[in-house]
Amino acid sequence: MTTMQAEPLALASGQPGQPSIWRRLFPYWLNLPSVLVLLGLVAYPVGLSFWISLHAMSFRRPKRFPFVGLDNYINAVTSPEFLSALVVTLKFSVAAVALIVLMGLALALLLNVPMRGRGMLRALVLVPWAIPPIVNATLWQLIFDPHVGAFNGLLLQLGLIDKYQAWLVDPNLALLIVVFAHAWNHVPLATIILLAALQAIPRELYEAALIDRTSRWRVFRAITLPWLLRPILIVMILQTMGALRAFDLFYVLTGGGPGNSTTTLAWLTYQTSFVYLDVGKGSTYSYIIMGLTLVVALFYLRGFYKRGDVE
Amino acid sequence: MKVRTVFLAVLMILAAIYLLAPVVWMFLLSIITQSEALSVPPHWIPHAPTLENYAAFFNPTERQATMGADAIANMPHAMLNSVIVGLSVAVANVVLGSMAAYSFARLQFKGSGVLMMAYLVSRMVPAVGIMIPLYVVMQRLGLLNNIFSLILVETTETLPFSIWLLASYFRTIPRDLEEAARIDRCNWLQAMIKVFLPVATPCLVATGVFGFMSSWGSFLYPLLFTSGLGNTTMPVIISNFATDINADYGLLATSGVLAVIPPFILAFWFQRWIVGGFTSGAVKG
Repeated sequence: MTTMQAEPLALASGQPGQPSIWRRLFPYWLNLPSVLVLLGLVAYPVGLSFWISLHAMSFRRPKRFPFVGLDNYINAVTSPEFLSALVVTLKFSVAAVALIVLMGLALALLLNVPMRGRGMLRALVLVPWAIPPIVNATLWQLIFDPHVGAFNGLLLQLGLIDKYQAWLVDPNLALLIVVFAHAWNHVPLATIILLAALQAIPRELYEAALIDRTSRWRVFRAITLPWLLRPILIVMILQTMGALRAFDLFYVLTGGGPGNSTTTLAWLTYQTSFVYLDVGKGSTYSYIIMGLTLVVALFYLRGFYKRGDVE
Repeated sequence: MKVRTVFLAVLMILAAIYLLAPVVWMFLLSIITQSEALSVPPHWIPHAPTLENYAAFFNPTERQATMGADAIANMPHAMLNSVIVGLSVAVANVVLGSMAAYSFARLQFKGSGVLMMAYLVSRMVPAVGIMIPLYVVMQRLGLLNNIFSLILVETTETLPFSIWLLASYFRTIPRDLEEAARIDRCNWLQAMIKVFLPVATPCLVATGVFGFMSSWGSFLYPLLFTSGLGNTTMPVIISNFATDINADYGLLATSGVLAVIPPFILAFWFQRWIVGGFTSGAVKG
């Protein structure tokens, strides 16, 4: 029963007398702590969340826990607050992901051009990334502030406004500002991934195109873009998941307002559960967010495999 | 050719402004007084730069103590909490992560593919999706208002990525090294300590840095699990500050600057690792 090459370094291979059951179980022992932690604090909560969502539970009356079946889900999908939050979430996610991909791609392409100062700029890309989301929110609050905001100051000096405005109280602008602030924090990750992908494109391809005197745009369409499709998809998956769970910015910048113009599903879940203490309903919303996350992942992955077939 | 160089240079300057200007603005507000901050139009270059906002966090004047109130008083303790949680999460990630990662990189066992998939799937679960049951769990365990609850949840949030990162790195370490050590009559544990771990150290450090930075910025869990300002972490204090309509702008900006110093240092120190970690995690993750 000696597998020569398979596990030459397993625990007790120096002592032939050792029972091999111990050796065979060794990899499982190594994974046990991680599995326990993830079972207890991810898998169990996912299950418990579903169980709670089937009940009319409130932190106001912790003793009562009546089973209501799928009522929470039926009430949720028909309630105007949910539908509004769903629309806001979609708007926010689509806009944020689009902006992140475009900015990330633009920066990656720029950083891939050999020229002086490139190394420095590559390091600077890490600046927005290293900023914790809550500080990112504070940062943009200080920029769009009605009294000291840099945005106001800039527009005033450019003569575009004649007095300071409160930008975040405008329902349309508020969502736009949150999108922009969220994107700023997340563009670096996209840039880093896309830049690595750009660097993986074989140089010979470009050299051949150079000999043929192909136009830059055609080189981009014919060589660069096809090589980038897969990494762009990965960026889109990661960022859509990130947008669906975005929370900190809403907490600091808008609090879901004005009105409910920036109330996303994540914010609605928090409000419902920890402000109105309606945990049954909150769990329902949170389950819908997890469902959306899953759908998004599958949707992208499907597109991903389809492309793979074509190539 | 000349036009192109100028064009690229302009683009790079624009990119640098986009990346830096927001942080620079926060920094500017942190080194001026409230009255200068309120000047219209703003002073893009401070007229009377001062460190009094920074001093406030150690020794507040009467006005600062009133304006900053709880936030200032609790900031040092909250920072300390953030550091404790961050370091614990880092250590937990390195220890648990490298154990699991070793099994994927070096041992063959049934179900390894499924297990790795399970780790990756658990990474997709959003915090807002499980915050309610986690709150209930922490309540039952009596861990609310205890930073141990934060160490637990931040570790679970970062562990799957750490396992993935470490496993991909461990696979690149040649087996010959350990085999040579074994020929030198080291037992498995000695081979681990003397040969394997030293080679793996850079990646272990990077994993710890990732864990620390992730938990340092985490806001939702401390917001929910720690209700008192006295036993919470830095992001909660900042959010409290930021949503206080009377807050002093300089103090708010300063708290932001203080909070970005550790991640900035780590990000630039481990720049190569962070870039490498992202790309290896993203290419297959």
